[in-house]
Amino acid sequence: MTTNNKIEGLSRRNFLKTAGIATGGLVIGITIPTQTMAHGKKVEQAPFNPNAFIHVQENGDTLIYCGRCEMGQGISTALPAAVADEMEADWARVTVKQADGDEKYGPQATGGSASIRRMFIPMREAGAAAKFMLIAAAAKVWKIPAEQCTAQNHFVINSNNQQKISFGELASLAANITPPEKPTLKNKSQYNYIGKALPRHNQGDIVEGKLTYGVDTKIPNLKYAAIVHCPVLGGKLKFVDKTAALAMKGVSSVVEIPRFDVPYGSIGGVAVVADNNWTAQQALKKLKVEWDLGVNNSYDTQAYKAQLVKNVENPAQVATERGDLKTAFANAKQKHSATYTGGHLSHSPMEPNASVVYVEKDKCEVWAATQSPADIQKVLGQYLKREPTDIIVHVTMAGGAFGRKFKCDYVHEAAVISKETGFPIQLTWSREEDMRTGYYHSINAQHIEASLDEQGNVSGWLHRIAFPPIGSLFNPATDRPSKGDVAAADDYPFGLTNYRSEIGEAKAHTRIGWYRAVYAIFYGFSFSSMADELAYKAGKDPLTFLNQLFDANANTEQQEQVTRSKNILAIAAEKSGYHQRASLPKGQGIGLAVHYSFQSYVAMAVRVESEGDNIKVLQVDCVIDCGQVLNKDGATAQMEGAVVMGMSLALSTEVTFKNGAVVNSNFHDYPVMRISDMPQVHVHIVDSDIKPTGLGEPGVAPFAPALANAVFAASGKRYRDIPFKPMSV
Amino acid sequence: MSTSITINGKKHDVDVEGDMPLLWLLRDNLEFTGTKYGCGAGLCGACTVHVDGVATRSCITPVASLAGKSITTIEGLSENGDHPLQKAWLNNNVPQCGYCQAGQIMNAASLLATNASPSSDEIDNAMQGNICRCGTYQRIKKAISDAADELATEVS
Repeated sequence: MTTNNKIEGLSRRNFLKTAGIATGGLVIGITIPTQTMAHGKKVEQAPFNPNAFIHVQENGDTLIYCGRCEMGQGISTALPAAVADEMEADWARVTVKQADGDEKYGPQATGGSASIRRMFIPMREAGAAAKFMLIAAAAKVWKIPAEQCTAQNHFVINSNNQQKISFGELASLAANITPPEKPTLKNKSQYNYIGKALPRHNQGDIVEGKLTYGVDTKIPNLKYAAIVHCPVLGGKLKFVDKTAALAMKGVSSVVEIPRFDVPYGSIGGVAVVADNNWTAQQALKKLKVEWDLGVNNSYDTQAYKAQLVKNVENPAQVATERGDLKTAFANAKQKHSATYTGGHLSHSPMEPNASVVYVEKDKCEVWAATQSPADIQKVLGQYLKREPTDIIVHVTMAGGAFGRKFKCDYVHEAAVISKETGFPIQLTWSREEDMRTGYYHSINAQHIEASLDEQGNVSGWLHRIAFPPIGSLFNPATDRPSKGDVAAADDYPFGLTNYRSEIGEAKAHTRIGWYRAVYAIFYGFSFSSMADELAYKAGKDPLTFLNQLFDANANTEQQEQVTRSKNILAIAAEKSGYHQRASLPKGQGIGLAVHYSFQSYVAMAVRVESEGDNIKVLQVDCVIDCGQVLNKDGATAQMEGAVVMGMSLALSTEVTFKNGAVVNSNFHDYPVMRISDMPQVHVHIVDSDIKPTGLGEPGVAPFAPALANAVFAASGKRYRDIPFKPMSV
Repeated sequence: MSTSITINGKKHDVDVEGDMPLLWLLRDNLEFTGTKYGCGAGLCGACTVHVDGVATRSCITPVASLAGKSITTIEGLSENGDHPLQKAWLNNNVPQCGYCQAGQIMNAASLLATNASPSSDEIDNAMQGNICRCGTYQRIKKAISDAADELATEVS
């Protein structure tokens, strides 16, 4: 790595700070890799580096860094394309590279469907600034005012005579131009790439098997490690007999991993180091390990779920009260109550947790599929007693993550093994370890009691909630959800004038983590299911009933939510043939659901064929309103994927605990959806000028309730427990 | 054990334990990392390669069973990444994270080699063992149909 002083000088102008990416002190100096592989060619140090994200070569080849982590959601196409758009770069001349962990790229922790929400403007400003500098350089060459120049498709054009100079030719000159304080952005009608259906930049490498994931890094002298963890949270290693493992050919050592007492830290374990993964995995089985299982050794999800149900079917701790629920219930024409439950879920990305770490005396280098490089820098910095910035984190493509790789325990472990052995270490968790040492989606129960008035409108709504919250990771004393954890229920955009929420006890006995869509999974399920149940109770059409529930919302601050929710519901109904549903064949039904989460809106109409316990999903019409869309194809793909994940969790996937430990082990007893389950999915995108919001998660929430409502319409059977058809394990 | 295996048309002399699955020989010893580890138990299809042209789960195929056999991995499916399936995968923008896609493509290639115009049900049956957690199944099916159509055009 070398540092170009000229670039540092430029960067100290803190362009990024003015571009609104970060708070103070973000850009300390830009260090550019001297050699970067791009399309198999070496991209040498670039002459024009207007900011951390953009590097333009003399031949015009342009490198754009993506600071947010890519795990298949398409962010490394969507954001760099927005940069190229504002820069007037030719996308065909652009190579995208995943940025290393470095605060100069702004916040890199990738989750909460926040990348587009947070980075749309700053990334565009980075591109617009580059364009400004290229135009100013050309204006100098032509000795004309910059206003008489335009940029287009990798050239600056002289408006007076249509003369052109390429970006490459301008690169060195542009480097001497002062970056603008606040670059001007294009308007929607001027976009080249934003809003179009751009293919993923890396799909060519994917179909040829050339893309490097967390499991794929190869460096000289690499050793391979396999790991086993204590099966029960809070347990610890009592004894390990390493003899048989160490006697195996190719095994070099056995390393005990300590517990990392930090958020998302490794829970500790025992690892075997060998010449290859196979030998390491085989040797691991030869360890004789005894664990002290600790206080959670009786955790049993069947009993626990039954307890959660009791906790929500009885009075609990009041969170929020509005209006007069008591009077509403006393004057009810009809009352209806229902309890909804859901089990733990494992993210189970196709790529298990894996990373390569090399701890040297004066250097620590990490290659990891991660959603949070800065957290790796922080934790390993503490562990090795070095500055976080001394930990070099190369972010690889993640083979799926869904929230799991936000927690980088597998990187901490590889660092321990490397430090102890002196070798660069590739640690790959087995699928079984991935399944059994997760950060699970929360097991949950909700009980809703609602009253209907004379007109069949909802007059009162009592919502009791219990689930072990994510907050239990940070505070072990946590014994129930916080008020913030139930805010999504309290703020649900239905008009619930007489309302009370209550929080039931739910202490965590395993690690709870963010799973794609998080709490929206169960809030979406309960609200859209209950609305459907009440519609039938009131003798009303479910869509009409949903619209009335939204219309009853008098809160002026929620009118945008009401309008956008109703709009996508109407489109879903129309596109799916909901209004003609009376003519569906016997045994078929259409169900509707809508959910607002992560500031985006998704409605689904699911058509099923159902008889007895057989459920066949035929068609899904999915409508999204996420404001402006950056990449239509990426948005569509996210919804198709959300349907599949929604179907897995609605129908079949559940992590079960017995005696404190996870019972599931692999895809035979954690049966995710397969190709024959795939319905026809149609995605409809609302054309909008509103500021863009993310789509990584919001599509998951409405699927399960739309399915439950469809099955009820088809067969009269009501499913209130997720998954509907759990596998006995 | 010491044996000789042909991978992507090139002979490799290897000396590993005979019960070592082909997956790890490919990935760790020979550094063909396009073939992925997903489950280690033949349940997900991410590790699919061809053994004498037939789709095979490399994670449960011991090296000892492969003497004299010819292996094709994703890196060797075509000269320039232009197998009809690879082209169809790109035309349909199939991949999301992409981790399972090498296995999907290798499995589909084996299907098309024995059934040039598979029906929708035949595609489902053949591809049933390949999991995609991102949920790209709809596009996979379309891409396989498109590739079959292209192959039919080439033949006619």
